[in-house]
Amino acid sequence: MGTRGRRGLVGLGIGLALADSSVVTLALPEILRRFDIEIPTVAWVLTSYNLVLALAAVPAAYAARRFPVSAFVVGTLVFAGASLLCGLATTFPLLVTGRCIQAVGGALLVCAALDLLTEVEGTDARAVRTWASAGIVGAALGPAAGGILTQTLGWESIFLVQAPLALVTLAAVRRLRNRPAPEPPGRPALSANLALLLVSGALTAALFLLVLLLVDGWRVPPAAAGLIVTVMPLAAIASGSHARRIGSSAVRAATGAILVAGGLAALGFLPGSGWGWTLVPQLLVGAGLGLALAALTERALEGRSPQAVHGGWTIAARHAGVVLGLLLLTPIFTTALDRNEDRALRAGAAAVIDSEIPPLDKLAVAQDVLALVRSADREVPDVREAFDDKPDEPAYAVLEETLVSELDRAVTAAFSRPFLLAAALALLGLVPIALSRRQVSV
Amino acid sequence: MRLAPLVVAVALGAGLMGAYVALGGTSYEPTPVADPCEPRPERPGDGSGERVELVLLAAADETACALGVSREDLVLALRSVDDLDALAQEEGRSRDELEQALRDGLERAVDEAEQDGLIGDRTAGVLGFAAERFPLGLLLSALRGASSFLN
Repeated sequence: MGTRGRRGLVGLGIGLALADSSVVTLALPEILRRFDIEIPTVAWVLTSYNLVLALAAVPAAYAARRFPVSAFVVGTLVFAGASLLCGLATTFPLLVTGRCIQAVGGALLVCAALDLLTEVEGTDARAVRTWASAGIVGAALGPAAGGILTQTLGWESIFLVQAPLALVTLAAVRRLRNRPAPEPPGRPALSANLALLLVSGALTAALFLLVLLLVDGWRVPPAAAGLIVTVMPLAAIASGSHARRIGSSAVRAATGAILVAGGLAALGFLPGSGWGWTLVPQLLVGAGLGLALAALTERALEGRSPQAVHGGWTIAARHAGVVLGLLLLTPIFTTALDRNEDRALRAGAAAVIDSEIPPLDKLAVAQDVLALVRSADREVPDVREAFDDKPDEPAYAVLEETLVSELDRAVTAAFSRPFLLAAALALLGLVPIALSRRQVSV
Repeated sequence: MRLAPLVVAVALGAGLMGAYVALGGTSYEPTPVADPCEPRPERPGDGSGERVELVLLAAADETACALGVSREDLVLALRSVDDLDALAQEEGRSRDELEQALRDGLERAVDEAEQDGLIGDRTAGVLGFAAERFPLGLLLSALRGASSFLN
């Protein structure tokens, strides 16, 4: 097999494993309904994978350093088997168990892939670029792929499709032999890894919260939401391909972190509830993602050996950041959603009381809307259903639109604070970037 | 020159955020409900049903103002005695206090509506009697279906 083929297959493996940190984001509403659980619980489908990946990455990197080919094969087989387990899971604990095993396999696969790429590409620098790019593209494309699969074939298909794809990547290691890295590993790049942790935490918001807002909040179908959030990976790929013109890796990393923060802050101040409002912020976040993650990964690995071990540290930092983002932002979001539900109920009651419909019908509409709110059970109700059997008169149409608008306002406003907090995390990432620059200068 | 990308990133981020704020990003949230102690815009009361509704809404305002809650919270609590109890607990009051405030508010609103000529003697008498004498459960049912009850 030629260099290009091996590079493509190893890149596919990396992309699959890192896409899994976000691939189920669009499937969360379906998983929530399937297992009858609440938002903080369903977030563990994402949190468990990222947490175990963060914890397993460094030990996996040490194993990969000694036996890169074997680690890649074992990691891929474990990842594929666990994917099947997730796809066939009949209970929520079984799904989370499958996700944890998947993460162990993913950690071995991704860390070993860096050493394999060094052999395939010939130089450390090129291997790092390919490795980082495959990871970014995988992580960013994850939600879109997951959304399309969820809507067309169901959430289980996300995992069932991964298993054969992962097995295909094993062809990349045919006739390759284990070549253990001889030198002992040095200390990890603290500042670059800390910056990776903070920026990754912020990016969780972009992927996890934006998808929840689109699908659960604004009732956009998962496949359409998947296409909408594709803006981010496209922007990431575009900015990544022009990144080297921008200057030093520190400037690229800082520029990326600022763009991510700007995009997230704009999402925190959405002036309306249409998906169109998210496009420009997504462009900024995506461009920032392409610049920051690649530059910080390069900085963390620059001049350090063995690559697999330091690559393991970057994976640990990135996914610890995702866990930090999920643990920090989910409770803030659910509290805001509860608070805004009360505010929306009050605003809706005011709209019904002050509407022009006949007084007796106000009671009927109010009762129908309240019944929908109660039956929705923590999901956003479709208040239009309350008007299905109402007269086709302007007063009813005005009230219907007012109630839908109040609901949209409540849901959108609930996401504001988590997005702003995520923007603050991205800005906080500038501190270690500045520190690492000073260390390099000294 | 080396820092130009940083300046561009700051300008893009701040510019987009500023644009969204200028377009109403800080106030895109559920419409705040009006203060029940402040007068509301005049509404026409053409039919008898609409006039009775105006009296009941005025009563809701009077009661909500006296209790320090919004009119909407009070109206939502009128769904049942249990909901009214929950509101009383939230506001740190007894059910008796809430019930008395409700009866007082209704009586005041009926008196004012009668003085303004919005309702006649007979309607005012029936509403006043209900406010004073009906047991709480029946009063709530009457308030919820007042228009049909009085028409």
